Amino acid sequence: MLTSKTFIKKTKTGKILKIVREHYLRDDITCGVGSCRECDGPPTLEAASTSPSEMCQGEHLLCPDTNVILHQIDVIEDHRIRNVIILQTVLEEVRHRSIPTYKRLRDILCNPDKHFYSFCNEFNKHTYVEREAGESSNDRNDRAIREAVKWYNKHLQTSRQIQTLLLTNDADNRKKALDQGIQSYTIHQYVRSLKDGKDLVDRLSLSGSKVFSGDKVQYPEHLPLSAIQKGLKTGKYLQGKFMASRENYTEANVSVADQEKMIFIQGLQNLNRAVQDDIVAIEMLKEEDWTCPSSVILVHTEEKDDTDEEEEKENLEKKRRKVPKELRQPTGKVVGIIKRNWRQYCGMLQPSIIKQATRHLVVTADKRIPKIRIETRQAADLMGQRIVVAIDNWPRTSRYPQGHFVRKLGNVGDKETENEVLLLEHDIPHAGFSEAVLNCLPTLPWEITKEDMECREDFRDLDICSVDPPGCTDIDDALHCRDLPNGNLEVGVHIADVSHFIRPGTAIDKEAERRGTTVYLTDKRIDMVPELLSSNLCSLRSNVERFAFSVIWEITNDAEIVKARYAKSVIKSKAALTYAEAQMRIDDPSMTDAVTKSLRNLNRLAKILKKKRMEKGALTLASNEVRFHIDSETHDPIDVETKQIRETNSMVEEFMLLANVSTAQKTLQEFPDCSCLRRHPCPPPSNFDPLIKAAQSKGFRIDVSSGKALADSLERAVLPDDPYFNVMLRIMTTRCMAQAVYFCSGMLPPSEYIHYGLAAEIYTHFTSPIRRYSDIIVHRLLAVCIGADASYPELTDKYKTQAVCNNLNYRHKMAQYAGRASVNLHTHIFFKNRHVDNEGYVLFVRKNALQVLIPKYGLEATLYLDSKTVTFEYDEQEHTQTCGDKVFRVFDRVIVQLTIDQSNLQHLKLQTKLVEPKIEGFSVPPSTPSDTSDEPPLKKKKKT
Amino acid sequence: MAEVDLSDAEKIFIKHGVQDNCREDGRGCEDYRHIELETGLLSNTTGSARVRLANTDILAGVKAELGTPSPDKPNKGRLEFFVDCSANATPVFEGRGGEELAAEIGNILTRTYDCPSCFDLEALCIIPEEQCWILYVDVLLLECGGNLFDVASIAVKAALYNTKIPKVTVSRDEGLVELEISDDPYDVQRVEVQSAPCIVTVCKIGHSHVVDASLKEEACCLARLTMGVTERRTVTGVRKEGSGSLDPASLEDMMQTGKRVGELLNKSLMDSLLEEERQGSKKKPVGFLK
Repeated sequence: MLTSKTFIKKTKTGKILKIVREHYLRDDITCGVGSCRECDGPPTLEAASTSPSEMCQGEHLLCPDTNVILHQIDVIEDHRIRNVIILQTVLEEVRHRSIPTYKRLRDILCNPDKHFYSFCNEFNKHTYVEREAGESSNDRNDRAIREAVKWYNKHLQTSRQIQTLLLTNDADNRKKALDQGIQSYTIHQYVRSLKDGKDLVDRLSLSGSKVFSGDKVQYPEHLPLSAIQKGLKTGKYLQGKFMASRENYTEANVSVADQEKMIFIQGLQNLNRAVQDDIVAIEMLKEEDWTCPSSVILVHTEEKDDTDEEEEKENLEKKRRKVPKELRQPTGKVVGIIKRNWRQYCGMLQPSIIKQATRHLVVTADKRIPKIRIETRQAADLMGQRIVVAIDNWPRTSRYPQGHFVRKLGNVGDKETENEVLLLEHDIPHAGFSEAVLNCLPTLPWEITKEDMECREDFRDLDICSVDPPGCTDIDDALHCRDLPNGNLEVGVHIADVSHFIRPGTAIDKEAERRGTTVYLTDKRIDMVPELLSSNLCSLRSNVERFAFSVIWEITNDAEIVKARYAKSVIKSKAALTYAEAQMRIDDPSMTDAVTKSLRNLNRLAKILKKKRMEKGALTLASNEVRFHIDSETHDPIDVETKQIRETNSMVEEFMLLANVSTAQKTLQEFPDCSCLRRHPCPPPSNFDPLIKAAQSKGFRIDVSSGKALADSLERAVLPDDPYFNVMLRIMTTRCMAQAVYFCSGMLPPSEYIHYGLAAEIYTHFTSPIRRYSDIIVHRLLAVCIGADASYPELTDKYKTQAVCNNLNYRHKMAQYAGRASVNLHTHIFFKNRHVDNEGYVLFVRKNALQVLIPKYGLEATLYLDSKTVTFEYDEQEHTQTCGDKVFRVFDRVIVQLTIDQSNLQHLKLQTKLVEPKIEGFSVPPSTPSDTSDEPPLKKKKKT
Repeated sequence: MAEVDLSDAEKIFIKHGVQDNCREDGRGCEDYRHIELETGLLSNTTGSARVRLANTDILAGVKAELGTPSPDKPNKGRLEFFVDCSANATPVFEGRGGEELAAEIGNILTRTYDCPSCFDLEALCIIPEEQCWILYVDVLLLECGGNLFDVASIAVKAALYNTKIPKVTVSRDEGLVELEISDDPYDVQRVEVQSAPCIVTVCKIGHSHVVDASLKEEACCLARLTMGVTERRTVTGVRKEGSGSLDPASLEDMMQTGKRVGELLNKSLMDSLLEEERQGSKKKPVGFLK
């Protein structure tokens, strides 16, 4: 039967179109119930296995409406909710309103244990309803849902008595359903009636049901979306992404598209319930009301609650004290929310004063997220545990957002739990690989066949070796160098041929694309591809035959490239060395084997290459990377050292850069529109302001007009008596840089391809396909270039490539953050039982604190200057803090004592106390040697 | 123009019949043939109608689009006619063969509707000088069986009656005009066609005149009067066609006949349209598959 759906649409250009879609109704759509005699479809639903409920004794099926799915997806996901009919009406509405919820719902539908069945009621002749005059589309959908439930009840009556319950929290809908003789409950009623699901009640979302606190109105009302859109058009409001400050919870920034400077927002009233990552509409304040960040570090603590008065006082104070004009930043206020981007948050219960209370506050692990109110009866169990909660809503009258409990992760302080928190908070996919992915792996024993050999070059006889950090199992690059008869050298970079194993479009490819990168935590690695590939079949281990993608150059002795070629190959690495081992071989004159010789040649060439690169204006930046020595039994860190940089590090790096640049040129030449490249944009000059100011205080002028000028002026800025000064400048420079990003060449003009840090016109990532997906794309492109592999449509689709790049950039950033957070975590564990005095340098001077860099641990600590006995004076112009005759400036050397403040279990805080210079009443005496006695004997050092 | 060839004897036979108020198919001089009418056949138009009279078959569709009013009539919407003579109707229309006839029908429709009292164009205006509805009326000739003008006008009037323009609300905000359309497909604006004209073609045959001439009768006719007549007998446009001349007395007579017949035609058309509307959505569409 044919009907048609008609709707009227307004296009962007203002045209009004009437759109008619044909809609075919069928009478052979099955009900999905296993015991149904009439339908012979797949028996997805098994009414007998529904969780017993007190309300409905017999066998029954559930049919939730859209709002139940949208708000209660956490409950719906629970294994006790089974045998649910998801109507097409509901599915479509969910997809329309929330993509993440839709994805989760699809996942449930795919899980056979959940017995979820999606019923195409819109295409069923018996359940299709047409919109009537005067009926809103929501009313129509509600009616369609009721009609479907009615049909189910009638349909199942004929074979067996199975009840279908309508779950809806809409009172009006429920009343209409009861009038039609349909059993209908709210989700809350139903979950409470479950015989084995008492704890499920906690997970119910509270949206729409009630407001916890009857506080007075606290926040201004949000504007409706229509008003916002109008305002955006006229330019009255601006749209941007909300980014809360980590340092002060009453401050935030909003990044508005196509505006360089962020809009600053201050005060809870102005923040107006926006949460990190929301898309908000803001209105600019009048210029005389503009302010600047207060440079006070203000963090949500567990002790303080409802500190309204304090804030109000603070606000009043601010109003009185106008900010000087030159410091003012564009300031605005949030007037409405365009899109919430709430996710699930990790946190801990804040201890409640009243025992047995069911309403609790959850302090979130992410400092940018406010505390969340939840209702739970298991507070006693959850105390001291890391838990996951979701935000449901944030009414105007509530100081904090309201949410519900989702699940618990484990005891606070447990390594596993803490790692889990880290991964969750950084949105890193870390579940095991699915069956479908593992099925894509080659079967063992894996052997190189004759056909493989035929289409690859045989490099098994070359003296190839790999150089990596100790303990590395995913070796993705190897090198060789040999003399050519004409006096030149042949250098080869051999990269693991991951794209041979990961074919486009397979499950393993999709999973790798989603993960984007391998994530390295201090004690854990979350692989992008399954271990069999990453540590075995792709890894270029020594003395086994492996597939590689080789770049071979003919290079003169002055490191001029004569020609380059690319080939798929088979190699057999002669040695898998660490940086230290390789360095030893090079330095040891008694070693004269082929591998060592080629290493020496490579090293020599690398030095020339590096010099050339530096002359072009490449920057040498510094960061403070550290390694932990981990105790093999307790897995606690026992010592920290900053990473040593050897010649061999730079040797490998140099050739990888060369390979990357070569491939970038080759792929771009062949695919000018769809190459996957990496660019590092020129940072805006204003980024360098803090660096220039800091260097000026020591009498150096930093020229930031070009990369070359910057590199040169950094080179010159050396204090002979303070070797660390230059390193600190370089660390500060690193912070001024923009992020390097992947992009698709067809989306930007060639002038923007440049890589600022490396001073390269064009760059890509080719050399680590085991741990980066971008490299896999580049491998595929290059393989097509040299005719070694076939192309596929998505490879040359620039929009698809750009979409992949966007995801890679996001994953890459998150992986970096997670890595840093993991280092922090270990630093905290390391300092747990230690009092150590350390030499440090002032990196930044803030209004109430000094940021101190401790080179030994590569650590940045905050030294708070809020003493009751002495007062510090802050000079905003000069960035100094003065106390008596002691002045603290940037780059000053200080001695600080580090301890761990264990008063807050969630955020173990590194407490920093001043030892030197001595300030009476503020600094602490140096720790005696007995305090540091628990520092481990160095002999027991274990390497990881 | 589609024509049939008749011998002199045949012509005389028809002329004599008309003189005695008895036409070749038994009708009187002021009788129309049987008319079939159905509206709302094309779901992707704003309004549509199909009319069949003997062998003449015409489909009319209305499409409403937003546009700017013409500068000389800033507070009025527009009505634009376009006629297409399908080569299906007669092989003569093939290529550009139908263009002349199409233009003729289009012109006369434009002329008869261009009268403030018969069709309210102001109702189509949304914002004076800025936004108005333009109704594009497309007339498609599917089959020719004579009397094309009358049938086309009936189809147009029925299609306009069937037209349901989405309701538009105007909101003004700081000089910026925003048009919003209701998302309820039932929330529509109807077009008032009560006083819209129908075309009546009066053909002079011998000394008498007839309405609704068949193809054969058209072949005997030397002069005819095409007039737009409303329900209240207002004549909104007259045109004389054909090679023959008309004396003032018979012109007056023909006008009177046209008015009389036009009134009746309009009334019975409105009755049928209301009757169809009353049947509502329960009515099964007949369409072309009869």
